[in-house]
Amino acid sequence: MNEERELAINPIVQTSVQHNTQVVSNIRNLTASLFGVAAGTLGLESYPGFIFYLVGTLIVSSLVFALRADGKPAEYFHRPLGDLWGGDVFSGLSSFVLTWTLFYGLVRA
Amino acid sequence: MAQPVVQTIHRDPALFWWILLPITVVMVLTGILRHYAMILLQSAPKKQALPQIRQQRSLVRGINLRANANVLSPISFQARKAYMVSAYQEGKFLADPEGRGKPRPNPMSDPAAMEGIMGMMKGNMAMMVPQTLIMGWINAFFSGFVIMKLPFPLTPQFKSMLQSGVGTRDLDVRWVSSLSWYFLTLFGLQPVYNFILGSNNSANQVTQQMGQMNPGAGMMGPEQDPDKLFLNEAENLEVMEHRWILEGVEDRLLAKFAI
Amino acid sequence: MAQANLLTPPSTISPSTALALSQKAPPILSSTPISSLPWPLSLLFSRESPETWTIHENLFFAALRTGDDKSARQILTRLTTRFGDTNERIIALRGIYEEALAKNPGELEKVFQSYEKILKEDPTNFSIRKRRVAVLKSLGRTADAVTALTVLLENSPTDAEAWAELGDLYAQQGAWAQAVYCLEEVLLVTPNAWSAHAQIATLHYLTVPSTLTTLSHSLRHFGRAIELNDSYLRGFYGLKLVTKKIIPLLSSPESKRNHNTDDDDSPPLKLETVKKLEELATSKLAEIVRQYASGKKGWTGYDEAEVIAARELLDRDGKVER
Repeated sequence: MNEERELAINPIVQTSVQHNTQVVSNIRNLTASLFGVAAGTLGLESYPGFIFYLVGTLIVSSLVFALRADGKPAEYFHRPLGDLWGGDVFSGLSSFVLTWTLFYGLVRA
Repeated sequence: MAQPVVQTIHRDPALFWWILLPITVVMVLTGILRHYAMILLQSAPKKQALPQIRQQRSLVRGINLRANANVLSPISFQARKAYMVSAYQEGKFLADPEGRGKPRPNPMSDPAAMEGIMGMMKGNMAMMVPQTLIMGWINAFFSGFVIMKLPFPLTPQFKSMLQSGVGTRDLDVRWVSSLSWYFLTLFGLQPVYNFILGSNNSANQVTQQMGQMNPGAGMMGPEQDPDKLFLNEAENLEVMEHRWILEGVEDRLLAKFAI
Repeated sequence: MAQANLLTPPSTISPSTALALSQKAPPILSSTPISSLPWPLSLLFSRESPETWTIHENLFFAALRTGDDKSARQILTRLTTRFGDTNERIIALRGIYEEALAKNPGELEKVFQSYEKILKEDPTNFSIRKRRVAVLKSLGRTADAVTALTVLLENSPTDAEAWAELGDLYAQQGAWAQAVYCLEEVLLVTPNAWSAHAQIATLHYLTVPSTLTTLSHSLRHFGRAIELNDSYLRGFYGLKLVTKKIIPLLSSPESKRNHNTDDDDSPPLKLETVKKLEELATSKLAEIVRQYASGKKGWTGYDEAEVIAARELLDRDGKVER
């Protein structure tokens, strides 16, 4: 109830939130594809590949945190923890797997 | 079983040019085509008669009142609530007040309702037809051999699906046929569509199916009885708790600017 | 001043901006967005996009405003050929064009008749209903305009634009309670619009007879407007005016007795708080005036007239105190 009141007092503008998520997910998808290219070219297999992806997204997250959010994620995201660090990590996974497989198949064997 | 030998299969480099690339290109193009087909198939919102518009917007007004009541002072909220509740209960905003309490006609016989169902079917068709076509195309042309090796292991359950038509029992599941590339592109192309078509595209059926799981709750579908909706809303208004957001704003302001 | 562009024009266009906008007409009009090639080729080579037509529409308004009727006519023809004669928006644009060209009340009356005819054919055309109200307003028939608006709102009670217009008309006639009611409806549709909060506060402030209740409502709405937008000049201006009016009321002893008998159920304001708010508004206004004068980045977006008014208010205040 308290949180609800807080939201009513300081409303969150839906379009701005949408724009922010859009920007972040674009960055994520693009970098995920690039990580896939890198992982495939390096010939990483199974676990190293996924760990590579996780490390990569974490780096991207911190870059977004430092460069795009100016170190103040609370101003740009509704729930900074979930929106910036948590949930979005797996949104780029499918494009990562796609490019990873493609380049792995092209370079190896 | 002993440690399996690493299986290597030498493949023709032409596989890339003649299978991987065509499938990818076809997938991207169907996505774009589907996007534009959806735009074309969208039937323009039907013009409603004035009483219908009035009925619908009056309901929205009640919903607005409920959602944003905190901007009103207690007195004006009570006045509005009393008015809206009594008007709703009397059925003042109904498009045909005589039709109150009568059972709704069968939605199948109602042309307006039929149109909504048709729209949904069109959307489903635009999803299903290309999907089956492409899967059939891939199965007809490119089945029966492996084209690539996945960089990660899979459980043997996938063998029957991803190696369909390849009759080797001991082959590692990581070797897959062209159908699996199709699935990969199916799930992984959304960002590509985002870049080509902008974010609000309807190119990918996967995201669409997710969107259809919860069709807009609270939407006033043609199959619902407006009178029931109004009575429902009146009840909601009756029980809602009202808090004035302007109460204490002066102290909040001072606290905010004191820093 | 920031360069105004035709795609996203500012919400209130000053005369100079309108002129600058309409002067962009020749290059836009000389290049046609519709390809002249035959059908399949025209699809491939047209440079048409939704933005093209937004630009056309905004240019149309700017041209009409600056008296460039020839360009406006050209744009209107172009839009009509693209979207057809019966498009609701095109009909409204044509109406605006004719209204702008009408030179005397008689011609305006003719436009009004044509609106009536359109509405008889299609009573759901809400843009034409709004145009009709506008014509009534410019003909000076305020009472008729109010009636027309109430009919419109009866049928479409979620139209914030129409509610605001009706509130304006009521305020002109001095029907403050009704005006406040209309603005409250606007707030129900757009609960976070600080301008609507400021408008409702202004109406409360202007209400005659002004009591402590109306004034405290006014103060709270101005406060909410500032809370939503903490650099809102109009909010601070209003806050200062209201607090100055409230302070004597609150400090006089009989006001306390009066307040208890009032039918207002909101908690009363404290004199101390109001005084602090007055100081806050003064200091904020002074800061805005100062920063605007020095042309600091991020402070130049204010309307010049508003800043001058704020400075004048501060000056007046200073003299009284001295």
